[in-house]
Amino acid sequence: MTVAGKPLSAQAGPVQTNRPATPNRGRLALRDLANGMNQHWLWRAMAMQDIVLRYRGSVLGPLWLTFSTAIMIAAMGFVYSQIFHLDPERYVPFLTLGLLVWQFISSVITDGCSAFMSVQHAIQQVRLPYTVHVLRSVFRNLLILGHNAVLIPIVFLMMGHGIGWEALMVIPGLVLLCINGFWISILLGMLSARFRDVPPIVAALLQVIFFVTPVFWTVETLGKYRHVGDFNPLFAAIDVVRAPLLGEPFAPYSWQIVGTMTVGGLLVTAVFFSRFRSRIAYWV
Amino acid sequence: MASLHLQDLTVEFPIYQANGRSLKKALFSAPMGTNLARDAANRILVRALSHLTLTIDKGDRVGLIGPNGSGKTTLLKTLAGIYEPTSGALHTQGRVSALLDVQMGMNPDATGRENIMLRGMYMGIHPKDMQVHVEEVVEFTELGPYIDMPVRTYSAGMMLRLAFAASTCVEPEILLMDEWLAAGDSHFLAKAQKRMEDFVQRSSLMVLASHSLELLEKWCNKGLYLRNGNVIAYGPLAEVAAVYQQSLAET
Repeated sequence: MTVAGKPLSAQAGPVQTNRPATPNRGRLALRDLANGMNQHWLWRAMAMQDIVLRYRGSVLGPLWLTFSTAIMIAAMGFVYSQIFHLDPERYVPFLTLGLLVWQFISSVITDGCSAFMSVQHAIQQVRLPYTVHVLRSVFRNLLILGHNAVLIPIVFLMMGHGIGWEALMVIPGLVLLCINGFWISILLGMLSARFRDVPPIVAALLQVIFFVTPVFWTVETLGKYRHVGDFNPLFAAIDVVRAPLLGEPFAPYSWQIVGTMTVGGLLVTAVFFSRFRSRIAYWV
Repeated sequence: MASLHLQDLTVEFPIYQANGRSLKKALFSAPMGTNLARDAANRILVRALSHLTLTIDKGDRVGLIGPNGSGKTTLLKTLAGIYEPTSGALHTQGRVSALLDVQMGMNPDATGRENIMLRGMYMGIHPKDMQVHVEEVVEFTELGPYIDMPVRTYSAGMMLRLAFAASTCVEPEILLMDEWLAAGDSHFLAKAQKRMEDFVQRSSLMVLASHSLELLEKWCNKGLYLRNGNVIAYGPLAEVAAVYQQSLAET
């Protein structure tokens, strides 16, 4: 037995040299990502459970998601096509896609803020890759987008709006949005866990951004200030999904902006995540 | 071959919420003032574990003992890989199964059977692989028809049975338990103890935190006495228990 004061290292025995050296932070962060990807069944199941639980006991269930979006589209479609003097057959499909993608982006961002804090309990009880929590958050919002997407064919049919082969470009667009959602959630999730002011700041900003981003109004209406809209990264993100479905050309800089955001964001996040990953358990 | 090796392991928590004034208060009036410090940025730090160096080998059933706030739970969480050490290193060999909180990963609205699967998922076991264990778990819990009832209707003891059975269905190599066994009745405790002894005999190890020397004497063969994040004594349980009781008598 060892009692304090006597050398404890004698108890531990000579330190063996063949123990693996502690891997560096970058390696650990990468391993976290790889394990997170490997356990895809885990975050997929968790995300589905999130949705099922939210609507357990209600009659419509997750269809409430679709239903509430439908009401919003009907109301805004009617009012704003009058205000802007736009033809509803063109405006309503535009509005539908804009709102769906906006809802996806904004809820990925707000959920990203709470990606770690909301699972504080799990983080402090069981060792899971941190990326699992983030992937769960993004995937949950993708599922919600899936529910809402049912409205797209309905609106298109009602408004007699066709769809062409160029609509397939929506796939790379969505993939890029998900990748961006992934790094934003890691970054905001860590910042929010450390600085509790971040989520309210982000929520306040998102509300403003909704009105100043061409979501429910077209970028052309900005006239000579159009570039303000074109360079808005959130407009670019919406555009890469909306334009192909509407069969319209992309805005001039959308792909460049989204591509730059993806690469730049991933790099910045990689640095932050490697440096502070091990602190997340202490922060939440 | 399960083993845990701690080398000069230190865990410190920065306290972000405290402001200047209450910092001062915290420093001067802390009941366990010995493990409060400041870091380079002048933040207050709680040193929960201080330079621990020790080895836990296979076959060891270590009882963690110490007063409140001595770092028992922090040590368990560090061994589980939840807190990465602030300095020093932890070398783990073997799959860790941590039973720190009975409620972990449990969904009160799901049935007992569903929760077995959920628990398995949180432990990293694919639902398909978990399926083969479900019946065995159900049997061990002896919950009978309650297994298909929502877990929120369970008593604390029933919850404990479910959590324990589900967490140990895949043989753990390193089992970490916080003091929550108290909720079990003696029949269940005896059964759980039997299961643990079987595991530990087959090349695994266990660390159990508890305030009850009586429980530790039944379950453990080694003792680790922590106080203020320092190891006071580590060795055969009887000797460590003697040191512990002596220090209790002194204060």
